[in-house]
Amino acid sequence: MDTALYAKRRRRNVITMALAYGATGFGLSWLVLILAVLLWEGFSGLSLAVFTEMTPPPGSAGGLLNPIVGSLVMTIIAVLIGTPLGMLAGTYMAEYGRYDKLTMVVRFINDILLSAPSIVVGLFVYEVMVAQMGHFSGWAGAVSLAVIVVPVVVRTTEDMLTLVPDTLREAAASIGLPRSLMIQKVAYRAARAGMITGVLLAVARISGETAPLLFTALNNQFWSLNLNAPVSSLPVVIFQFALSPYKDWQKLAWTGALIITLAVLALSIVARILTAQRKTS
Amino acid sequence: MSVAAITVPTVTHSLSKDEELTEKISVRNLDFFYGDHRALKSISVPLYRGKVTAFIGPSGCGKSTLLRILNRMYDLYPNQRATGHVTLDSANILAPSQDLNLLRAKVGMVFQKPTPFPMTIFENIAFGIRLYERLSKSELDDRVRHALERAALWDEVKDKLGANGLSLSGGQQQRLCIARTVAVRPEVILFDEPCSALDPISTAKIEELIDELKDDYTIAIVTHNMQQAARVSDFTAFMYLGELVEFGETTRIFTTPNDRRTQDYITGRFG
Amino acid sequence: MVDVALQGTGISSAEQVDRAKVLQRLRLSDVAFRHLTRFAAATVLVILGGIIISLVWGSLPALRAFGISFLYEEVWNPVTEKFGAIAPIYGTIVTSLIAMLIAVPVGLFIALFLTELCPMWLRRPIGIAIELLAGIPSIIYGIWGLFVFAPFLQQHVQPFLIALFGEIPILSTLFAGPPYGIGVFTAGLILAIMVLPFITSISRDVFEAVPPVLKEAAYGLGCTTWEVARYVVLPYTRVGVIGGVMLGLGRALGETMAVTFVIGNAHRISGSLLAPGTTISATIANEFTEAVGDLYTSALIALGLILFVITFIVLAIARLLLMRLNARVGG
Repeated sequence: MDTALYAKRRRRNVITMALAYGATGFGLSWLVLILAVLLWEGFSGLSLAVFTEMTPPPGSAGGLLNPIVGSLVMTIIAVLIGTPLGMLAGTYMAEYGRYDKLTMVVRFINDILLSAPSIVVGLFVYEVMVAQMGHFSGWAGAVSLAVIVVPVVVRTTEDMLTLVPDTLREAAASIGLPRSLMIQKVAYRAARAGMITGVLLAVARISGETAPLLFTALNNQFWSLNLNAPVSSLPVVIFQFALSPYKDWQKLAWTGALIITLAVLALSIVARILTAQRKTS
Repeated sequence: MSVAAITVPTVTHSLSKDEELTEKISVRNLDFFYGDHRALKSISVPLYRGKVTAFIGPSGCGKSTLLRILNRMYDLYPNQRATGHVTLDSANILAPSQDLNLLRAKVGMVFQKPTPFPMTIFENIAFGIRLYERLSKSELDDRVRHALERAALWDEVKDKLGANGLSLSGGQQQRLCIARTVAVRPEVILFDEPCSALDPISTAKIEELIDELKDDYTIAIVTHNMQQAARVSDFTAFMYLGELVEFGETTRIFTTPNDRRTQDYITGRFG
Repeated sequence: MVDVALQGTGISSAEQVDRAKVLQRLRLSDVAFRHLTRFAAATVLVILGGIIISLVWGSLPALRAFGISFLYEEVWNPVTEKFGAIAPIYGTIVTSLIAMLIAVPVGLFIALFLTELCPMWLRRPIGIAIELLAGIPSIIYGIWGLFVFAPFLQQHVQPFLIALFGEIPILSTLFAGPPYGIGVFTAGLILAIMVLPFITSISRDVFEAVPPVLKEAAYGLGCTTWEVARYVVLPYTRVGVIGGVMLGLGRALGETMAVTFVIGNAHRISGSLLAPGTTISATIANEFTEAVGDLYTSALIALGLILFVITFIVLAIARLLLMRLNARVGG
């Protein structure tokens, strides 16, 4: 046997295995670095004032109340618009039209929309809403977030409904339940945990989205619940404050970033718990 | 109950009276554990050089487990371990110091499901050869051809060596795997139910192959098909519930087994 | 015509009428629901169509004014209203390329680690860590990049690179000073960290789907772990890995916030990777709200159209590849 060849093979194996360990350490260390800095910078600025005071002009103290509220409001509206739409579409794809042409095309298009650049979504909503209405608005912001929610919900709804066993459907049909009622009363219930998970994931996704809001909802320094006018949101405020030269604004930006990250984390954990529960039940 | 009243597989191999037997692999007091569960209990069995030893027994008796110890395949999985002595030419292969790659170069394995690599037919064979030897192109071509001839596959694939291994039929794929194993010149070949996924014609071809390979290799074959064991092997080991119940020359095992359980199994009482 | 359900039972005729009414109502709502869901499904197509139409419509003034030269002119002057897209296009492509060159090998090696080397108890935690990395919103990457990463690069890494490649041709221009900290290279690095979790988890999923028998066959020949990975696992999973890589590329191309903070926003193509530049999404994000004049706005929308076309093509290829993979595994 060629011992030199064998030695070379062993050497190569050791090197590549070391690279695999190294790559993992490399990847993980970025996570640690980013989270550590985020916690450090964001935490030091965290106080009750952040949640009770409005965004300040540069040079004075303040909080993030209006962007937090603005984000919450637009997120809720986006979910209210996008979820039913996405769920109904997913229902068609999984129930009525599981193997037809329309479903195949929609599935393909939906997957592309899922990964499409969100700034393009912002441009789209700008064109159809802001330009038409003549001004920026919270509604436009909510709609642009809804456009991002829809593909996520469509995907999870279709996946979850497809998982429901056909035996369940047949049992419902055999007692004379019409299709639509079977879907609403039986299939939805069976897939409920999965669909809620989908909604949570969609919310997590839009919580951090900045680009689509930049030219739909714009920004608003003042307290306003008027959705027909520009509305402040956490990501856009972070964008503005972080790029500014003012130290206290930058501090608020970090704190805002921490808040968003914690929210996204919490949503992901809840979604994960729901998924685990579903698997064990 | 008379054994002759039930159909017993016809045995075609018997040893001449004064043949000398050398142990190629010795298994002594082998225990095997999946986690805490003891799957093999104090197994002791010899594998004689140049002979075919068959392992038979009902599902779950541990015959595949035993086979997979002989090339330390279980090492790939964290919860599995073996204790005892298994020696290949007096080297204990269970020792942690045993080089696994070298062991597997000496002890080859053919699996139940044909597993051609995602490469051309030629590459499937050449790949293994290149692991151990640096050959010129013409030498490599010769070796590949020789391996394919040995596996009785050459005539069928000589014009399509560049085709993907998966384009062959099931029986051909399995022979490709045999060719691949033979190409690296092992000393022992382990067959783990090699024909259970194949049709009867391919099965017959492979049984012929095993008979021819016997001259150069020590062979162990696990099979749930007793007729196959009787046709192909010189020695047979009957296993039941993780224990080695009986071992002996195939002719004797299938005509006058010592143990009641062996007799019940080969007469079709269970399993 | 009487319903089968109503025939021959001892129900009174009044009850039969009620029951007929209920069945009729159920039938109608059933049909209505079906149409509703179908309509909703079609809406997805309408959204895509709307995006394409609105982008094209909005780009028309710019495309009419500049024609095909829009794609290769470097000038970007809002005052004289002369716009060319080459600098943003260049920046988008180069930053994504840098990101992929780093993220793909690293991601594959991490997937290799997770499937072959990692002890069982560690697999889930690391898997979760990767998902965490994927879930961090891009604006976080942006401000971290701006306040932490860029200064670090500027002080410690970039001077080192400039000195290291100072004498070597080609590389000395690619890595020429001054060390700004921000720039095309930095943006590429941040994108690499963002794309890494996607590549890793898709690769890990396809690696795990390799039949264990196939790997055992390779180990059985005496292959080392690396040889099994390189000659058996990788060829077997090739289609899935490429699909995952293209998905990652699609994300990198469209990424806005992380890049905007650290790219420097300079509308020019420099020889050096360490110099500031811009990408399509960064340009739009920075300038859209300040754009005065229809031509300026239209030019920015035209940029958006170009970006959409590029990402659409990449994502379509990725989806087709992954569909082929699912067909093979499933069937």
